[in-house]
Amino acid sequence: MVLADLGRKLNSALSQFSRVSSVDQEALDALLKEICAALLESDVNVKLVSSLRQKVKAKVKAALDTGADKGREGQRKNIVQKAIFDELVHLVDPGVEPYKPRKGYPNVIMAVGLQGNGKTTTCTKLAVHYQKRGFKSCIVCADTFRAGAFDQTRQSATKAKVAYFGSYTETDPVSIAAQGVEKFKKERFDVIIVDTSGRHKQESELFQEMVQISEAVKPDMTVLVLDASIGQAAEAQSRAFKDSADFGAIIVTKMDGHAKGGGAISAVAATKTPIIFLGVGEHLADLDKFAPQPFISKLLGMGDVQGLMEH
Amino acid sequence: MFARLTGGKVLTDEDLKPILATMKEHLMKKNVAKDIADRVCDGVGKNLVGKKIGGFTSIKSSFQEALGASLTQILTPKTSTDVMQAIRTKLASPLSSTSVRSPYTMAFVGVNGVGKSTNLSKVCFWLIQNRLKVLIAACDTFRSGAVEQLRVHVRNLSMLTNDSPDLNRGSVELYEKGYGKDAAGIAKEAIAYAKENEFDVVLIDTAGRMQDNEPLMKALAKLVAINTPDKIIFVGEALVGNEAVDQLTKFDRALRDFSAAGSGGSIKGRGIDGMLVTKWDTVDDKVGAALSMTYVTGQPILFVGCGQTYTDLKQLRVANVVDALLAD
Ligand SMILES: Nc1nc2c(ncn2[C@@H]2O[C@H](COP(=O)(O)OP(=O)(O)OP(=O)(O)O)[C@@H](O)[C@H]2O)c(=O)[nH]1
Ligand SMILES: Nc1nc2c(ncn2[C@@H]2O[C@H](COP(=O)(O)OP(=O)(O)OP(=O)(O)O)[C@@H](O)[C@H]2O)c(=O)[nH]1
Ligand SMILES: [Mg+2]
Ligand SMILES: [Mg+2]
Repeated sequence: MVLADLGRKLNSALSQFSRVSSVDQEALDALLKEICAALLESDVNVKLVSSLRQKVKAKVKAALDTGADKGREGQRKNIVQKAIFDELVHLVDPGVEPYKPRKGYPNVIMAVGLQGNGKTTTCTKLAVHYQKRGFKSCIVCADTFRAGAFDQTRQSATKAKVAYFGSYTETDPVSIAAQGVEKFKKERFDVIIVDTSGRHKQESELFQEMVQISEAVKPDMTVLVLDASIGQAAEAQSRAFKDSADFGAIIVTKMDGHAKGGGAISAVAATKTPIIFLGVGEHLADLDKFAPQPFISKLLGMGDVQGLMEH
Repeated sequence: MFARLTGGKVLTDEDLKPILATMKEHLMKKNVAKDIADRVCDGVGKNLVGKKIGGFTSIKSSFQEALGASLTQILTPKTSTDVMQAIRTKLASPLSSTSVRSPYTMAFVGVNGVGKSTNLSKVCFWLIQNRLKVLIAACDTFRSGAVEQLRVHVRNLSMLTNDSPDLNRGSVELYEKGYGKDAAGIAKEAIAYAKENEFDVVLIDTAGRMQDNEPLMKALAKLVAINTPDKIIFVGEALVGNEAVDQLTKFDRALRDFSAAGSGGSIKGRGIDGMLVTKWDTVDDKVGAALSMTYVTGQPILFVGCGQTYTDLKQLRVANVVDALLAD
């Protein structure tokens, strides 16, 4: 299962805490130490983890300061657990609503991201996802750089029975993107997905190219596709993509592996942008919807968290 | 606060505690996996306890100095990184009059999208420049476009060689059987073809796979067991965080366990021989993955990929990595 490891660690820390006889500073520190270690092992940004620690401490300070009072230990435990749950949810929930494609309108979605993070694969998965829900979907391959890029799109779109556009000879991605989107708009497609080459912030020319493609196709939603295994470079890279491409959603890929996606989660915090899907395999149907709260509750092995949330 | 002078004192656990915490966090910020940062710092700390430090040395600078030495030691290759030498040695080894020379074979393995195919092509370019005759075996028979990707690289590389006036240059050819076929079998055919046609080197491209995916890991081990490549190169990206540890541990173990299975324990399974760290150009000074990878395997980083063109392949400069890891 996705994130089983991280979930087990967080869960064991919380259940150990639930058994302490007195909720004091020492118990809180022990709990936070375990939680933070688990997050660091999952690649959550180092600064973000220490800020989570501070925030939880601040939130529960009043409750701890009331001093020992046996009758209220249970209540104090709840306050601490809820503070941690909220901060964990906060990590993956920027409180922003992502764009929702609507029918009868040409929704243009553009995928951007670092090299090899899963853009091309995810574009086909997205097209399949929307196609299944009655949106007429298609893919424009605006990657003229990577060897075999158009073949990759052609083969996977054919497998998925999704329309596609691209060229073996045109070398300008801006021109291809514009041509493709215009063609599919004329043909009244509902969801037009533009795939782009992988790039990174250190090469400003590649970023300029991305901006130009974006200006040419005017996406309704730009998606940052991010590999779940990314470590501490996630923050700087995602910030740079945000500044140039102003993406409105994140898709975290390769969550079927052992990776816990903490780097990708840090990108959410760094860019205040919501995750909308998780990629969970190499096959076309391996795409899961993402929602922050159920994600964290599942992570912590809590069936129904509603109770906890209403305190 | 750690810079205070400690006039020739003997270091205790208590003295080192705050600096240990700071330095662990520092290494993690450089993208060293948590477990590795903990172990390296604890090791350095243990060695410093009981040591007397000079009057003008702060605890921090003594620690940093010892840490630098430890990082250098971990990153310094224990076995040869001279791949060209290994190739030349195999190609020059004496043969009996009846036998035919086998090519030097290298398999590129790793998780999805890290840069196996691209960096295999860079290695190919380097081999061609060294006048070797190279065969690329297209053993990723799964991912869309994988074969065409290599075909484009082979075409580009052939053009680069043809453009060159130097007639003694090497060459490259692609061996492919399309999609859906058994990778281990294609690699075997490719090696046989290379032997018949006097190729010097065979580069085996494999499909990316997750380290926990047992069927796929078994298939990779089969490829290794059947073809016994001269070098198994694990390709990992500099971007990877804590996963570096799990990826390498499990690739190495799966290759050893599954490739030994069936031999009744008579053959020792083959593990990873070295690493190729890609996307070095995307991480600035957060080069901690290199440390995590070498710490876990004890194997050398043979090449560093630092861009998307054929010339973007370098050797690891240990001193530069240590400097980057220690820099504020
Ligand atoms: N296991 C797994 N593999 C994935 C997932 N998504 C993508 N991949 C694999 O990751 C590798 C890279 O995927 P691509 O879609 O080519 O990545 P990209 O971002 O388009 O790469 P560039 O265009 O070169 O930047 C391929 O082997 C995919 O099959 C996922 O969710 N799980
Ligand atoms: N910036 C940068 N990009 C790289 C480097 N090496 C490879 N890439 C890019 O990473 C992406 C993925 O490379 P591939 O060679 O297709 O990766 P792979 O491991 O073969 O992928 P799969 O076969 O799908 O598992 C491509 O866009 C490459 O151009 C590097 O050193 N630096
Ligand atoms: Mg792509
Ligand atoms: Mg490949």
